[in-house]
Amino acid sequence: MIRFAEVMLGSGGPARCVRCHGPREDATYLPAAKLATSLRETCGSWEGRPGPNVMLAGPEPFGHPELPRVVGAAMAAGCARLGLDTDGAALQSRQNAAGALSAGVRHLRVRILAGAPGSHDALAGAPGALDAAVAGLRAFREAADAASASTSIAVLVTVCRHNVHDLPGAVALAVECGADRVELHLDDPGLGLASSAAWIRAACDTGVVNGVWVEVDGMPFCAMPGYELHLSDVLRARTGAKSAACGACALDAVCAGCAPLASADQLAELAPVANGERLAAGIARARAGEATAE
Amino acid sequence: MSAPMRCVLLALNSPGYRSLALGYLRAYAQADRALAGRVAFETLDLDTDVDPVWIAWRVLGLEPDVLGISVTCWNARAVYEVCRIVAAVRPECSIVLGGPEVGPIAEGVLAAQPAVHAVVRGEGEVTFAALLAELAGAGKAWRVDGLAIRKGEEIVSTPDRALVTNLDELPSPYLTGALAPIDGGAYLETYRGCPHRCAYCFEGKGYGRIRSFSDARIAAEMELVASAPGVRTFSFIDPVFNLTDERLRKLAAWMAPHVARGVRLHTIEVDIERIDAEAADTLVRAGVASVETGPQTIGRAALEACSRPFHRERFAAGVESLRAAGIACECDLIVGLPGDEVFDFLAGLRFCFELDPGIVQSSTLHVLPGTALWEGAAGFGLEFDREPSHEVIATPDISFRDLRRAEVLAASLQTVYKARV
Repeated sequence: MIRFAEVMLGSGGPARCVRCHGPREDATYLPAAKLATSLRETCGSWEGRPGPNVMLAGPEPFGHPELPRVVGAAMAAGCARLGLDTDGAALQSRQNAAGALSAGVRHLRVRILAGAPGSHDALAGAPGALDAAVAGLRAFREAADAASASTSIAVLVTVCRHNVHDLPGAVALAVECGADRVELHLDDPGLGLASSAAWIRAACDTGVVNGVWVEVDGMPFCAMPGYELHLSDVLRARTGAKSAACGACALDAVCAGCAPLASADQLAELAPVANGERLAAGIARARAGEATAE
Repeated sequence: MSAPMRCVLLALNSPGYRSLALGYLRAYAQADRALAGRVAFETLDLDTDVDPVWIAWRVLGLEPDVLGISVTCWNARAVYEVCRIVAAVRPECSIVLGGPEVGPIAEGVLAAQPAVHAVVRGEGEVTFAALLAELAGAGKAWRVDGLAIRKGEEIVSTPDRALVTNLDELPSPYLTGALAPIDGGAYLETYRGCPHRCAYCFEGKGYGRIRSFSDARIAAEMELVASAPGVRTFSFIDPVFNLTDERLRKLAAWMAPHVARGVRLHTIEVDIERIDAEAADTLVRAGVASVETGPQTIGRAALEACSRPFHRERFAAGVESLRAAGIACECDLIVGLPGDEVFDFLAGLRFCFELDPGIVQSSTLHVLPGTALWEGAAGFGLEFDREPSHEVIATPDISFRDLRRAEVLAASLQTVYKARV
């Protein structure tokens, strides 16, 4: 609903489960001058409101040797909302937290893999990583409060078979740290939709009762009956993977199915939603920002 | 000569505000010759976050014979607790309630709140003063029009009181000194009534037609408040500030010298569909820094159920005119209106965000006493809390769980929107 353009800082993505993806790739970063050009193009060609909004993504932003220049370039390009996709560790330094804030960063997307240090650190392949992320998130929040700056902090969990059972715990940790919302991104072709849905529903409920929204990306409507509002498809169109069965589903036009790299087993779980016409029409309205059809 | 009757006026306000309603009550009663020398007034303007026990402590310390309290849906629970404590400690004190929360359901409030002696129905100034005269004299309060009151074991409603035809008969709280203007928290009222009949709203307070204070009175109040030491911003409680173009131009002219000194108006409610570049310019000349407006919903079924007009293009043009004029605009939405699905609420959020007005604020429907939704709740299938603040629990089109989800989702999106340089 409030769109962000992702500008990649280089290659070598953020931390993901090492048991699924192996050791983290080494990061390489684009030079600030090149990123400045990219930011100018992104902001200059921005269509619609509100915006322009940019999330600096890809490898850990605080590893970029010229991050202040990059952030400055985003501001100079007219960026209204600027975010960092980070593991949070570097924000433990109050200087970094306050510096990012004063430079114009108002959004954080802090990646965690579990709600407990033992689990997270094992999956991230980085001892002490969760404590560092939590400390960084809190330092940014404190710096924002001190500066009376409006900020938005999201905790992002890439969901796989190794952490799905810990999602409620991850949401609880996000709540405790003062995050504003949680994003769950399904990222494992080996993850059963039905078997994971219960954990995801529990995570959503943990968020709601604590006043923190949980958005789920990569999950089809047919796997989450009663929890449709939590699915990212309600707010925006996304790319995904579908099966032949989807053609018979009333939600076909508004559902992207599974995550793009879905397995055959996952696709086999997709099933048409019965009597979904009203739901489909509602989702279409929500996406378009239009009133009820007469 | 006997000591005057002690009357304490109590309001529980949002922090930083003072009750304009109590100012009117006090200004009118103090000017009433029938009460001269017979009643002594004390106003307690407290914040809603004060514990009822300590509110009662403050009240009882003043040893009131009459306690008059202004009640809204937001403070009602605390008010009732204060009433119970005060009645228990000082049973000889007559407790009188008034305001939008209790007036429309006066007999029910008396039935549910044994500590309360009387409820003023509707416009309160004349009725409250007449009641004080009876309490200070003959004691036949049930002779006063516009009340629901205990008469022995009975609860009786006296005849409705006619509205004050000439609003200038109500002394100004500010011009009389009954209410001191404070920076940011001072509100003026230039008329009573509302041109709209939105089913969820009690802003018109059932007054029907619009009655205006005179130009001279409005100008004098504006002059006093805008010139008060320390006042840099104030506001108006008028439901529609731009009621007519002519009126708006007059208000702008009266404000002009103060605007030149840097005084600004905040949180002015406007009919945004009537704002074009010229009207926006007039608002700027009136010193308007921020406005508050709908659309409340963009769902056609809900708009119809709520008797609310909405023209998408005119609304968007109004926001655009304000943006161009540099006036901050708050677009408000309500979740839980009859006829809306949760997706209509989300569509409304998207519509508002895409206008990029500055602030987007959503709230959950409160089914307020005296509104068309209160009267017609059963027909609409609205489940809501009968106790204040009367929040909707579920509707035929939005489940309890989805309502709570929508609240959290909207708050999250508002946080994202607000977080900008």
